[in-house]
Amino acid sequence: MKRTLLAALAALALGGGSLSAHHSFAAEFDINKPITLQGTVTKVEWVNPHVYVFLDVKDASGKVTAWSLSSLSPGAARRAGVTRANFGQGQTVTVLAYHSKDGSNFGFMRRMTFADGHTVELWLGDDEAKK
Amino acid sequence: MKFAAATALAVALAAVSAAQSPSPSTPRTADGKVDLNGIWGVAPLPPAVKPGQSVRWLLPLKGVDPEGADVFKGLDRVQVNARAAAANKPEYKPELLAKVKELSDKQGVLDPAFYCKPQGVPRMGAPAQIVQTPGQVVFLYAASNLFRVIPTDGRPHRADADPSYMGDSIGRFEGDTLVVDVTNFNDDTWLGSDGYFHSEKMHVVERLTRNGDVLTYTVTVEDPLVLAKPWTRGPANMKLSTNPADALLEAPPCVEHDAPHIVTLDHH
Repeated sequence: MKRTLLAALAALALGGGSLSAHHSFAAEFDINKPITLQGTVTKVEWVNPHVYVFLDVKDASGKVTAWSLSSLSPGAARRAGVTRANFGQGQTVTVLAYHSKDGSNFGFMRRMTFADGHTVELWLGDDEAKK
Repeated sequence: MKFAAATALAVALAAVSAAQSPSPSTPRTADGKVDLNGIWGVAPLPPAVKPGQSVRWLLPLKGVDPEGADVFKGLDRVQVNARAAAANKPEYKPELLAKVKELSDKQGVLDPAFYCKPQGVPRMGAPAQIVQTPGQVVFLYAASNLFRVIPTDGRPHRADADPSYMGDSIGRFEGDTLVVDVTNFNDDTWLGSDGYFHSEKMHVVERLTRNGDVLTYTVTVEDPLVLAKPWTRGPANMKLSTNPADALLEAPPCVEHDAPHIVTLDHH
């Protein structure tokens, strides 16, 4: 695993097809504030340095709030086999995300669960390090 | 019969010799230069996940529990530590070390490669594809939709261009190596994430050597105003891609959404 990351960093530094530079997630999102949002995906923006999903979330009173959710880079998503078609454009989904530190309607999306129960999760870590 | 047997033996020996050869021979263009045409070092993509199919993928972070509270900080730490452990870093003049540290500490907001600016030469790395014609070589960069046109016809650097992110390049062939000399940079790029700034006096020399189906890329950076000595990165070896599926695709554009939401100076 470490090898993979180091190889990825080396590729980033010198090899072909280097990635766009992107900001630290820790500077923007609070890992201790997981949120669950249910809504309709109004737009999937397949851009660098991060994929963005726009979600209209309806509360109990029927009021709609627009949220935007960052994901990994489009290149990382594609290396996982995930393309824009996997991100639920137009569908009603449930999203597990981590809220932005500035408290705006913005978060980092970890997992999208669809009405039929299938899930798309792009996340970070090492399963062998699970406590 | 004797002649036929000798011919068969010669053919057989040639076949054995070809099989034992460490790499295919290095091809040449019609004008006798080393042929650098091709897609280099591009990792093949996995098949696309069908819509409706579940997928779970983790960006590898050694030792970081994906269910834990350390994921975001862990990403920064793993990357910072990996770079800190790297043996080969640019060496700055002693009076500039404090500035490098300050830029590095504030990398999360000061790195010029954020806000969708080009990483520039040399940070953007080796080209993903090379197109070579007599008198010029064109470098194509897949991740950023950028290109460099590099004359190899002996002309000097141009005097009428503004300083730029990728500089002004001229190339020459030395045996099986293309040597690219780059000058006239702006100072709006870094050499890497750790505050490695440079001046407009930066001078970059890239060397691309083909050996069979492998291209070796090395880059040397001189900057008399900020570096204590020239800094060399590499060599990085890139394999020739022969799979038609590796043809370069349009990269998604860079659209900055993050800057207004950056709250702390965490960085990676």
